[in-house]
Amino acid sequence: MLSPTFADPAAATMANLQESPRVEPMAEERSGSWFGFGFCGFGQEPGSGCRCQVLSPEPLQAVRDICRVSASWSYTALVTRGGRVELSGSASGAAGGCRDAWASEEILVLLRDGPGSQAELQAWAPGSALRGEPLWAQEPEAERAEPDAEARAEALPLLPGARAYVSPRPPFRRGLAPELRARRLELGAEHALLLDAAGQVFSWGGGRHGQLGHGTLEAELEPRLLEALQGLPMAQVAAGGWHSVCVSETGDLYIWGWNESGQLALPTRSLAEDKRTVTGEGLNQDGSQVERAAGTEDGAPAPFIAVQPFPALLDLPLSSDAVLASCGSRHTAVVTRTGELYTWGWGKYGQLGHGDSASLDRPCRVEYFVDKQLQVKTVTCGPWNTYVYAVNGNS
Amino acid sequence: MAEGTEGPGDALWEALMALLPSTKEDLMLDLGEKVDRGTALLLQQAVELFHGGRWADCLQASEAVLDYAWEKLNTGPWQDVNKAWRQVYAFGCLLKALCLCQPPREVTAVAAALRVCDMGLLMGAAILGDILIRVVAVLQAHLVSRKRPDCSPSQELPSLKKAKRDHVPAPDVRLERAVPRLHRPSLQHFRKHFLLPGRPVILAGVADHWPCMKKWSLDYIREVAGCRTVPVEVGSRYTDEDWSQTLMTVEEFVSKYITNEARDVGYLAQHQLFDQIPELKRDISIPDYCCLGSGEEEEITINAWFGPPGTVSPLHQDPQQNFLAQVIGRKYIRLYSPQDSEALYPHETHLLHNTSQVDVENPDLEKFPKFAEAPFLSCTLAPGEILFIPVKYWHYVRALDLSFSVSFWWS
Repeated sequence: MLSPTFADPAAATMANLQESPRVEPMAEERSGSWFGFGFCGFGQEPGSGCRCQVLSPEPLQAVRDICRVSASWSYTALVTRGGRVELSGSASGAAGGCRDAWASEEILVLLRDGPGSQAELQAWAPGSALRGEPLWAQEPEAERAEPDAEARAEALPLLPGARAYVSPRPPFRRGLAPELRARRLELGAEHALLLDAAGQVFSWGGGRHGQLGHGTLEAELEPRLLEALQGLPMAQVAAGGWHSVCVSETGDLYIWGWNESGQLALPTRSLAEDKRTVTGEGLNQDGSQVERAAGTEDGAPAPFIAVQPFPALLDLPLSSDAVLASCGSRHTAVVTRTGELYTWGWGKYGQLGHGDSASLDRPCRVEYFVDKQLQVKTVTCGPWNTYVYAVNGNS
Repeated sequence: MAEGTEGPGDALWEALMALLPSTKEDLMLDLGEKVDRGTALLLQQAVELFHGGRWADCLQASEAVLDYAWEKLNTGPWQDVNKAWRQVYAFGCLLKALCLCQPPREVTAVAAALRVCDMGLLMGAAILGDILIRVVAVLQAHLVSRKRPDCSPSQELPSLKKAKRDHVPAPDVRLERAVPRLHRPSLQHFRKHFLLPGRPVILAGVADHWPCMKKWSLDYIREVAGCRTVPVEVGSRYTDEDWSQTLMTVEEFVSKYITNEARDVGYLAQHQLFDQIPELKRDISIPDYCCLGSGEEEEITINAWFGPPGTVSPLHQDPQQNFLAQVIGRKYIRLYSPQDSEALYPHETHLLHNTSQVDVENPDLEKFPKFAEAPFLSCTLAPGEILFIPVKYWHYVRALDLSFSVSFWWS
């Protein structure tokens, strides 16, 4: 999981020198930095307490040597290569001996060093400032049925051993059938996505916005295989509030779920109307989604898509290959093989990083990194913001 | 262009401030443990900013509150959404609307604030003694007083151009088995012969003297509710693929879907308009027969159904007893007994299990053969009449004219 090497002391004095985080080990480690943009109304990075939102990428200043970021709505957890977790925003505090962190409004989950090589799972109230006792703590299960289970479970909320995961709502610890051979798990507002060792994707939970990808709006109680993706091994999955993304081993992007802000990069009614009306999102009493009135009076039928219940292949500009995706509540961010970052969806708080508050229903490159000749390596989205790790590009 | 700069006394602003509790502490919600810590902090901050006169910052904080609460309202089924989140949403709307009205304000600010309040009423829950209703009244009064004469609705030509659509002509209900009509049956009689056995009946002479029967017209509705934002269903019927819901003012709805030739069917359907606009509630009454039920009067759901000729509610059933009162125009209604549900081929999905797959006036009998033999009752419901639809009784409704109906769901 965490690589134990530290930056050399001389290099550590240089501003923003941080090592590469959880990506494939590279032939040579290059110096890189973390950046952030979007909502910071609680003073979390990159806002410094006086701004509500950041519209373009800005370097993270307060914490050095970040290797992992987990952002909730009102605070962000930053884990350093030295094993320290630091909280920024509505929650504050820091703690050592930390391997991984997972932030939600209800609980902050830490995977900390335990006795021996064991890790201890702890759930903290965000308001506790990591002082006193956690809400609960436990050892992950001692038995490992398969030798690769530990290595396979990449990150929280999936627990080491891949037999269970943490949830922000009770029950906080939920089991997973070992047959699933879970590798990666992502949670949306009402659904869960699971990637297994063979590159298959499973989904379950609420499906009213098509976020499960099985072609219906029905809920699923148990993990159900995404048949539409069978035969296409996936390398990575990401869950937004009500949408889902996965990246295939060959660099293709598949996306499905709710498109109310263009987060699926499909035409959405709300953006066509944006020029004229005051925002008026809504929800009907029975829970079905509301769309704004069609903009054109001349009768042209508008091919807007509110919900996409099956995975749809999404082509990035310039036929770029995707390597990594992350989703906020209503926006999507993708890193390409050539180190570019594309974002789209809800942009009201600058979470798309294009220097404005516009929402977009098509992928747009974040020019900041291109202009500064930075290669994007990782992206992690909070609900309304985006954190990016980038290294200096070579010629 | 700004308005409200006429010196220190801005009448609108003072009227709005008079509605608020006097102390900062009272302008807070008692939400308890139901909302997360971050939200509670942000709400607190927004109130502080409001009291500190930092309107732009308060507006920003309110927007964040609204956006976050909106996400909570969209998580899970509507009926499971915690009321606290709806209160937070309403509170965000209150602060935002007030900040928008702070002088100096844009010309469009008051209409925008009114729309925000309507969003709070539509999706939020009552707060601070239903303060949004009182704020709306102040805003609406201000808009009316500001309106230039040539903009007032009564001056506009209320041309009711009938849409040039091929209407399916009104069915000859004499050829069909009729719903019985009774003039003011006693409570006893209604209970014994219709409520308990679950049989439909039209009650005449009960609603015909309600004020709405004389007062309501297109002009009156536009006058009372024209600037209010309401949900509208667009599309022939809710089982269609291109059916959608949207929000617009009543004036926009009338203009787009009723008085002008509309491309689509628009229907202001199944909306608790009378909670949103108490003035209209005074024009209707709760039928006395509702007292035969076990529920409380406050629990009765009153919905408005307002639309052009041709709106269709596909054959479906509801989980409560229903009194459907007709106010403007006529409706053709067909009723099928729950005993014959099998012949009606309900959808299998959970979402639509209370809706039949059959298009009643144009059934696909190859696909749905049993439907041809399913017995039914029908009627043309006219203004002043109330149709009793027993619980779970399947019903299909098509408006024959410009129509306004009021339904009462009770148990």
